[in-house]
Amino acid sequence: MKYISRIFWIALGCTFLFPLYWMISIALKSKSEAYENPFGIPSSWKWQNFSEALSKYNYFTYLENSLIYTLGTIAITLASGSMLAYCLSRMQWRFNSSALFYVSLGLIVPIEVVVIPLFQLIKLLHLKDSYWALILPYSGFAIASCVLMLYAFLRSLPKELEEAACIDGTNVYQAFFKIIFPIIMPALVTQCVLIFIRIWNEFPLAFIIASKDQFRPLTVGLLSFFVNVGVSDWGLIGATMFLSSLPMIIVYMIGNEKIENALTAGAILK
Amino acid sequence: MNKYFSTKMSIFVFATPALLLFTVFCVYPLVPEIWMSLQKHNGFQSLGFVGLDNYKAIFASSSFWTAHKNTYLIVGISLLLGIPLSMTLALFMEIQTPRLRRFFKSAAMFPAILSVTVVAQIWLAFYEPNWGLFNSILRAIGMDSWTHSWLTEKNTVMLSIGLTFLWQYIGLNAMLFYTGIKTIPKSYYEAALIDGANFAQVCMRITIPLLQNIIKYVLILSTLGSMAFYSHVRVMTAGGPGDKSRTVIYQMYYTAFDTSEFGKGTAIAVVFILECLLISFLIQRFVARDKLEF
Repeated sequence: MKYISRIFWIALGCTFLFPLYWMISIALKSKSEAYENPFGIPSSWKWQNFSEALSKYNYFTYLENSLIYTLGTIAITLASGSMLAYCLSRMQWRFNSSALFYVSLGLIVPIEVVVIPLFQLIKLLHLKDSYWALILPYSGFAIASCVLMLYAFLRSLPKELEEAACIDGTNVYQAFFKIIFPIIMPALVTQCVLIFIRIWNEFPLAFIIASKDQFRPLTVGLLSFFVNVGVSDWGLIGATMFLSSLPMIIVYMIGNEKIENALTAGAILK
Repeated sequence: MNKYFSTKMSIFVFATPALLLFTVFCVYPLVPEIWMSLQKHNGFQSLGFVGLDNYKAIFASSSFWTAHKNTYLIVGISLLLGIPLSMTLALFMEIQTPRLRRFFKSAAMFPAILSVTVVAQIWLAFYEPNWGLFNSILRAIGMDSWTHSWLTEKNTVMLSIGLTFLWQYIGLNAMLFYTGIKTIPKSYYEAALIDGANFAQVCMRITIPLLQNIIKYVLILSTLGSMAFYSHVRVMTAGGPGDKSRTVIYQMYYTAFDTSEFGKGTAIAVVFILECLLISFLIQRFVARDKLEF
């Protein structure tokens, strides 16, 4: 009984990993083998799919764009979000609770439903062909959960924290960067991981707004590549899929524990 | 001392950047959205004010209702299948050996970190009618009559896409539940053990009731996530066959960007925002209203 349940769990775990195996195995197969033996182990390893992928697929452009979008969003969201959270939790402002409520409304509406006006707004602000066209809306939508999480974190800290700084004659900006910033680091790391996973894999908005190839992130670039190749060359498709997922797979392998904690942190706080 | 820090100037400096970003890109778009939905609009300019005509038109179109049926099918799948299944996984994860649990946790979360484009394209190969995984398995065990052209038949297409979605996020939800289970104080279980309760009783009487905060969180996350269901459809079927796998968001994109009916597209969006607000309100109102403290 014990062994049966153990085997069942291993098998179940493997069903989640099967696509990873399949992506790699099909990438190593020749065109004809991909059809004759689509799910088995490749008979011999052929690397030409990868070299073909690197020459036909603008991998490094898309990779660079994904990095710019993700890191840009993280920087802007964490900087502005932590400042607002600090203001709402520690400063005496008449509108603290109403501002908090206002920001929390951002959790209800999914970004997809405002794609059309956002598209118009980006054109109006002349941001259309720049990285800001995605970074700014992404940040706007990431701020709600960032502020709420940091607010909860800051509220749990003792009020006396900045008092010493106050006596030393430090001003509020120095106090924020030298005292508060290091303390809220764990929460910032959590937010960083959450935003990274979300923006790195974001598709619906990028699909509409990054219409020029040179501004496409990996998710959208990959789809347009699939559409161009058609469904004839699965070896090539497998290679591009693997290359596109590789950064995330590496991040996941290194920061497995951190990612797990970050993804589940929101559930505990709420 | 907080008074000393809370000058008008410092509040302004700290609050403005985030509030400005949030307002401009998250809240303000609702204004042109509503305004545009009352006009005939081709994406470049307004072709005149038409009042509620766009709303009448979308309510009269059958694609709009097909899209709603599909979206709520996905919501149904993720709430009625996804949540109970991931809860079951989480409950049984607790009684595994630590090594097996670690392996399972890493494996189950893996699909959730892959991009939708990759996951959907992989499943496209699984559903392929001639050499795809599912039909190959069905043929191998002699159930040829069960094979389908999964993504081009109107009866199977939405369930097939839904299964992909379910598979991608079930592990993540299980992890959320499992994290919640870990926060329940051990003393509750010790008391139950003394009373001679079995595993099923412990799950039903202790674990699940004490998890209501997390259940609510996952419920909101899953509901809003599946309401916005779009990307898988875009990659796997592009809404086909016909409009049979379009979701509401897909229908909105299609109406605005493929047929240049921006007025009708925004009308769909406005109706859908109201639905999202209503559902969030219902969850807040009726599920787990008291916050549990241990």
